[in-house]
Parts: sequence; structure tokens; C-alpha cells
Amino acid sequence: MASKINRRKFFKDTAISATGMMLTSNLLGCNPERESEKSSYELMKEVKKYRKLDAHAHVYLSPDSDPEVVIDFADRLGIEKLCVSRPITNYSGTEPEDPEQVRESNDLVIKAVKQYPDRLIGFLTLNPVYPKESLEEIDRCVDLGMAGYKGYTQVKINDPLYFPIIEKFINLKMIMLMHGFCQLGLGGYRMKYDIGEAPNTSIPEDFVDAAKRYPEAMFQFAHIGGGADWEYECKLFKDYPNIYVDTSGSNNEEKMIDFAVKYLGENRLFYGSDGSYYQGVGKILASNLNESQKEKIFFDNYNNILKKGGNGVA
Amino acid sequence: MLLDINAYVGHWPFKQLKYNTCNTLLERMNKYGVDISVVSNLNGIFYKNTQSANEELFDEINAGRRFRDRFIPFAIINPIYAGWKDDLETCITEMGMKGIRIYPLYHDYELTDPACIELVEMVRDRDLTVALTLRIVDSRQRSWMDLEKEWELKDIVPIIREVPDAKYMILNVANSTRLTDEEMDLLKKADIVFDTSGRSMNKLGELLSIYGKNKFAFGTHSPILDYLTGLLRIESLRDTEANNETKELFRSGNARRILGI
Repeated sequence: MASKINRRKFFKDTAISATGMMLTSNLLGCNPERESEKSSYELMKEVKKYRKLDAHAHVYLSPDSDPEVVIDFADRLGIEKLCVSRPITNYSGTEPEDPEQVRESNDLVIKAVKQYPDRLIGFLTLNPVYPKESLEEIDRCVDLGMAGYKGYTQVKINDPLYFPIIEKFINLKMIMLMHGFCQLGLGGYRMKYDIGEAPNTSIPEDFVDAAKRYPEAMFQFAHIGGGADWEYECKLFKDYPNIYVDTSGSNNEEKMIDFAVKYLGENRLFYGSDGSYYQGVGKILASNLNESQKEKIFFDNYNNILKKGGNGVA
Repeated sequence: MLLDINAYVGHWPFKQLKYNTCNTLLERMNKYGVDISVVSNLNGIFYKNTQSANEELFDEINAGRRFRDRFIPFAIINPIYAGWKDDLETCITEMGMKGIRIYPLYHDYELTDPACIELVEMVRDRDLTVALTLRIVDSRQRSWMDLEKEWELKDIVPIIREVPDAKYMILNVANSTRLTDEEMDLLKKADIVFDTSGRSMNKLGELLSIYGKNKFAFGTHSPILDYLTGLLRIESLRDTEANNETKELFRSGNARRILGI
């Protein structure tokens, strides 16, 4: 059936259609105005401009974190040094994760650092369920050159089992990087359903509790880009200057870095990847921070922390 | 030339966004050297009547010639809502939209719903492109009012099986890319491009060896994700992985092919 169209509708549609066609008519042609507006941004030049010290990286957690693979990513993106650890991440509540397993894990990190001594800095892990062995393991690992701690979900950071460990790291002037999370069902709000996280996962409130008890300790809340609610985390940590955050994780939301600096200041953020190498660099470069702030977050802030324990990078 | 196939304006109801207007997006493009962006209006994910969002986008782009010269609008169509065929026609013929983005999870229908298949076939018949976004946000940090489910790559295979000769953009590939041999073969044969914004594109070098150099295109997923990571995955490829000619395909060549511009 032929469609009916009156004269007014014909001219109206024709006019609109012409406008519609205009939307894409000048896209590809020579456009001096566009060229004058656009900057000639050279991304890889910008990437290489900043020294980078990765505050949250791993080795031997998966094939993607074999030392050779880690170094390959680091070379690609101009990452000078990486602080690497191998926490035991398969905690199920039924597996013992005894001190021997912890030692084996730390030995793998030591092996990786020996393989790439100019690129990797070792961080040790523990299972605080074993207090005596944990303190002995700290001594062993620090003697072998490790520069900090990486904890996972075996015990919450504010559990009394952690107290002697925190006190030890205060004396060593070393930072404690601790896995943390904050999402629906796990955090201070909307406890609606089980999300399958390990029951002893530290939430932001646990960090605050530990930071208040030990104001001289240095806590590093892991990966604000790790999938958790980073707005919640940054707001909660605002008034606790001994809680730092690293920017690692696969989530690279546009506002994340600017928001974190707004709430935490420019000295409490550390660049990190946690295996998400592109997002780690991209989200900082795309932020509104000035050059000096980017230098701090990419390198200087964490180096200042490492220096306190005698492990700074020249 | 740099052509971003995955950008938005508009609002996300659960979190404040920056750079979410034509004006601020254009500033972003100029700052980082992006020539053209394929853009939709995020509001269309939440409006029941998505055409209102398409009209908003059309009006915003037409507010200035500098927008018309830099943005390629894609309509958001909900094929289970009244009047969608008229909306599609209006978007194509009157608003000059070059493709559509669909959101079955948010609009509550299956990809293989007969109406969705009909929509994709209609877009195919106009030689335009259908964009499928595997997730808008990381669901781990979602609002309690947002969706729990995200798509894996295999989840979008059924519509490609139903309409294998349509043109597709697969956006924000953030989860598993595992496919059966049959599924992978289907995607290899289809006229598709994956954008580089999603975290699964961290293995772009490997994916390139599987799917070939014609299947990838620069995308930001702006303003939700940061503006540079998608580009970084391209620019940091080594010469052994992608020479400059291949990178040009990723920067704009493959997008231009699928957009027909």
C-alpha cells in the first residue's frame, strides 16, 4: 500500500532528513577547524615520561604473573620497579595453609627477586593464625631483603592475632599492604546477601579500627580499582592519615583518581597494577592531576614509604 | 585518525559522571587527539521510552556544527517497547544515526527474542551496525538498584548465530572470552569489531593472533571508564605484534569499514 504524505509533512521530513545527513557529512573530509582544536597528544611519550614504582604486583599467582610475564608488561609500559608478593589466595576454611606453605610462597617471591634484582622488590605474606611462626617468618624474609607485607583473607586486619604482627612492622618501619573489599553485602552498608567473599576479608571499617589502634603503623588498603566501591572507601579513610590506598585493579573508572585525591590528598595514593597493567597506567594519565601530582603517585609517594624501612629506590 | 567507537553522553543514575555532555566529551577528544566518537545517550538505558533519549542526543549534537562534525550518533532501541519500528526509522532517516546500541539485560528481554532478531535484521537491511555492550559498569561495585548480571563473550553469540550477516560492534569486553570452536568460527566469519576498552583486551596481542587484524577498534567506554586505557592497549603493542599499518586499522580503519564511512 502506498503511503500517504501531505505537503507539509514532506517538507518537514525533508528538512529534518537533511539535518540528519549533516550529522555525518563532514566527518572524514579535510577539516581545518578540527585540526586546530585537537592537540597532538603522544600517548607513549607520556607513558615513558614518568618513573613508575608499582606498589601492588604479584608473581606466581597464575601463568600471567610468572616473573618473565610481569617484566614483559613492565618493559612495555615503562614500569621501573614492582613490589611483588605471593599471598595464598585459595583460602577455603578447610585448607590449613600452614607455616610451611607460607614459607614456600615467600620463597617463590625471593626466587623471582633473585631473577630480576633490579626490577622486583619482595613483599612477604603470612598466615596470622600461626603467631609464633609468623613472627619468625618476618625475620627470615626481612633478612633476605623483603621490604613490606602483603596480607590476604585468612585473618581480618583488626583481629587480635594481627596485633603482634602490626607491632613488628611498626618497628621495621614497613608498610602493610592488605587485601580489602567493599561491595554489596560486604562493607558497612546494605548487608543484603552473601557475595561469596571469604568470611575474614577485611572491610574498610576493619582498616579504620586497626589504624586507630595503631596510628604509627602504615596500612595500605589494596586496589581501589579492584571492583569495590572506591567512593565509599575513600570517604571512609579520609580522616585516617596512616591508611594509604593503591590504585590497582581492573576497574578503571574515569573519576576514580581525581576523587581519591580529593578525599585523601596527593600523598596517600600509590600507583599499582595488581596485574591490570594498562588500567593502572591509563587511569592516572587520564586524571586531572598535574605533572607533579602524577610523579608523586606513580613513584615518589611509595618510594618515600620504602625509604622509611631502608628500601628506597635511588 | 582516531575514531572512538564506544562513547556516551548522558547520566548514570547511581554515580556522578564527568565529561558526559557533547561539549565536555569534545574537550576530552581534543585534549587526547581523538577525531570522531560514536556516541549514544546513556539515559536511553533507563528511560522506558528510549526514543526520548535519542531525541535528546539529536538535539544536543545539533546544537553546534562542531558537534555534528565530530560525533556519529547511535540510537538506543528497545524492541519490546511500543513504537520501536517507527523510532528506528526516525533515528535513521531523520536523525542520521548510523547504528544502534541495544541493552537486553536492562530492558528485560532475551537477545533471541523474536522482536530483537527482527530489529537486528532491520538494521542489517539498512547496512547499519548493531552494538552490544557486555557490561556498562563493574557489577561488583554496583548500586543496590543496578543489575547483578554481566555478559561474557559467549552470551552474545546467539544473536550472531540468528543474524550472522549483520554488522556488530562488541563493546567493553570485560569478562571471559572463552568460546567453543564453533562459536569462535562464527565470530571470525561475522563482520564484527571488538572495542579496546574492556579489561579482557589486556590480551589484545593474543586475541589479535586468534581473530586477525580486522576485528579490533579503538574504544574508550567514556565517560564511565578512563579515556586512555583503551588507546594504551593499542599504542603499546610491539612491532612484532602489530605494525603501524595494523595499528591504523585499530585507530580508525576497522571502525570506518564497519561504519561504512
